[in-house]
Amino acid sequence: MHDKLNRMKEQYESTPIPDELSSIVNKTIATRRRKNRALPWIASVAAACALLFAGVNASPAFAKAMSDVPVLGEIVKVMTIREYAEQDDNTAVHIETPGITNLGNTELEQTLNNKYLEENKKLYENFKDEVAQLNQEGGGHLSLDSGYEVVTDNEQLLTLLRYVVESAGGSAESRQYDTIDKINHLVITLPSLFKDDSYIQVISDNIKEQMRQQMHDNPDNIYWVEQPGVEPEIPEDLFQTIDKDQNFYISPSGKLVISFNEYDVAPGYMGVVEFTIPTEVIQDLLVSNEYIR
Amino acid sequence: MRGGRKLEKLLIQCITENQDSAYRLAYSYVRNKEDALDIVQDAIHKAFLSVEKLKQTGSLKSWFFRIIVTTSLDLIRKQKKVQVMDDENLEFILPGSHDHYPNLDLAQSLDDLPDKYRIIIILRFFEDMKIDEIAEVLHENVSTVKTRLYQGLQRLRVNLSEEDQEEAQR
Repeated sequence: MHDKLNRMKEQYESTPIPDELSSIVNKTIATRRRKNRALPWIASVAAACALLFAGVNASPAFAKAMSDVPVLGEIVKVMTIREYAEQDDNTAVHIETPGITNLGNTELEQTLNNKYLEENKKLYENFKDEVAQLNQEGGGHLSLDSGYEVVTDNEQLLTLLRYVVESAGGSAESRQYDTIDKINHLVITLPSLFKDDSYIQVISDNIKEQMRQQMHDNPDNIYWVEQPGVEPEIPEDLFQTIDKDQNFYISPSGKLVISFNEYDVAPGYMGVVEFTIPTEVIQDLLVSNEYIR
Repeated sequence: MRGGRKLEKLLIQCITENQDSAYRLAYSYVRNKEDALDIVQDAIHKAFLSVEKLKQTGSLKSWFFRIIVTTSLDLIRKQKKVQVMDDENLEFILPGSHDHYPNLDLAQSLDDLPDKYRIIIILRFFEDMKIDEIAEVLHENVSTVKTRLYQGLQRLRVNLSEEDQEEAQR
């Protein structure tokens, strides 16, 4: 090969490789693997719950009429029913499992509480597997922090947020919301709020608009979204539409908020991203304004 | 469970084997350690996210390099936007500064070469990738890659012998 090219190649190859590269790579792979593995059970548990409540869910008005239980909304409580913490030199795990009481419907309460217990048990087991695997590969730092927060608690709705933060070099956060109608005793799913499936496209389009606007307003914001005049870098990676059962919650003021986990629609430094959907955008598609105003 | 298990294994292997190359590639765009490490980390996340959507049309390595390249470009674009503001401010603060026109056609070293030429030289000669693999990484057609390779070499004043040129076009 040409001398000049050879010299350039030598120079290029002399770019120093930082010591931390391989540990960062290994940890990122470890985080990602656990995440990919964790997805199927989250999906199946969500699907099971959706099935269980679809019947009542289909008609909130009917459910309300049939409900003979006095309104207990105000005294519903969320508390920690199981807390688990463990720490050594390289790993740390802290998991807080919520439990709902006084919901007024024992069956629903138990289903949810069992789901939380079950999911956190899996979370812990997966973490242990990952630690074992990492130790086999030469060890490394891993930590996992999972807990919950009550986002909305008014006369009608209780929204419980459960979060998982995994750290391995960098960290990745994922959130899971459950929105419960305390009066009618049902879990609200995203499809149940709308007349038909057209909400998927309408909400996705609105989110894309918001993404572009945010990127325009502040160059530090980056979303993986199509932009007019910019040729897509990795077209298959761009945000297309929300999932039918996309993570969501209803804010205390009755607005629909769509939530994306870290790395789902934006680079890691953007963290978990959430979009409030203006009610007028989805007004015509809503079954009623009972929850969303 | 999913059929992606084997693909996931291949991906992990590909990332692990090519981590140094991936880092150097990212570094050639951003020229600092922190950003380059961030790019590699983000690219791995992206790779795992979209590996299931990947249609097996080309090599996993080309695909992973492509994610590195696009992630680098994303970051640069973001930083450029900030820089435009700086330049405007500078001009305002320092009136009467003279414009400087570097000779755009001549590049002393690889670092002076615009991104679109440099990446091709790197992939072709330093990473030993074939023209069609490079086309895959950059999502350009083969003739565009060949043209840019040729133009890049010219700017570097690298005159390849006919034999070498033929070799390079493969």
